[in-house]
Amino acid sequence: MSTLHILSHSPFGDSRFASCLRVLGPGDALLLTGEAVQALRQGSAPRLKLDQLPAQVALFALEEDILARALTDLPNHCTALDYPRFVALCLDYDKVNSWL
Amino acid sequence: MAKSMLIISRRAPGSGPSAREALDIALAGGAFDLPLAMLFMDDGIYQLTPDQAPHHIQQKDLSANLQALPLFGVEDLFACAYSLQERGLDTSHLALPAQPLDDEALRALIARHDLVVTL
Repeated sequence: MSTLHILSHSPFGDSRFASCLRVLGPGDALLLTGEAVQALRQGSAPRLKLDQLPAQVALFALEEDILARALTDLPNHCTALDYPRFVALCLDYDKVNSWL
Repeated sequence: MAKSMLIISRRAPGSGPSAREALDIALAGGAFDLPLAMLFMDDGIYQLTPDQAPHHIQQKDLSANLQALPLFGVEDLFACAYSLQERGLDTSHLALPAQPLDDEALRALIARHDLVVTL
């Protein structure tokens, strides 16, 4: 059973980001929204962790949050989404786990 | 003599009112010529990144207020070097000139101010 994990908090300050990465299995996906997109910033500690994700884990991020923070040099394996595609993505997985 | 105050701003611009409130304190204090310094730490560092476009997420832009700090006499701007480094940023990337400080310098900065406010 595949799971879409959604992170919306900063990758710094608590253990959500690290814990989420630990529980990602093959066929699962990670969607970064809100402050969590800061994990994509080139040269940062969380970006290194994302670059090490296995190829079987799909990586997505909300485009408007990327634009708002002027993030560039995104990982090649990261797909940017708008809200309609966000909703569609939720239906592609058996369940959604939001790290609130 | 007025007491000196250090404002430590450690929240990202998009995560609630803290970043704006810290900035408002600094600007208000600066307008009254109070001896103020501002330290950006943890996710507060993200306030200093260039080219932010918060209209994409229906938020107000803080960068004009930040640029006003030197005009209001708040020229002692500092950034935690550790917070910069773990976020993949260095001072050449910042929208505002903030001097990076290591942990020892941070301790000295806090020690030499009469008051400290962290938001």
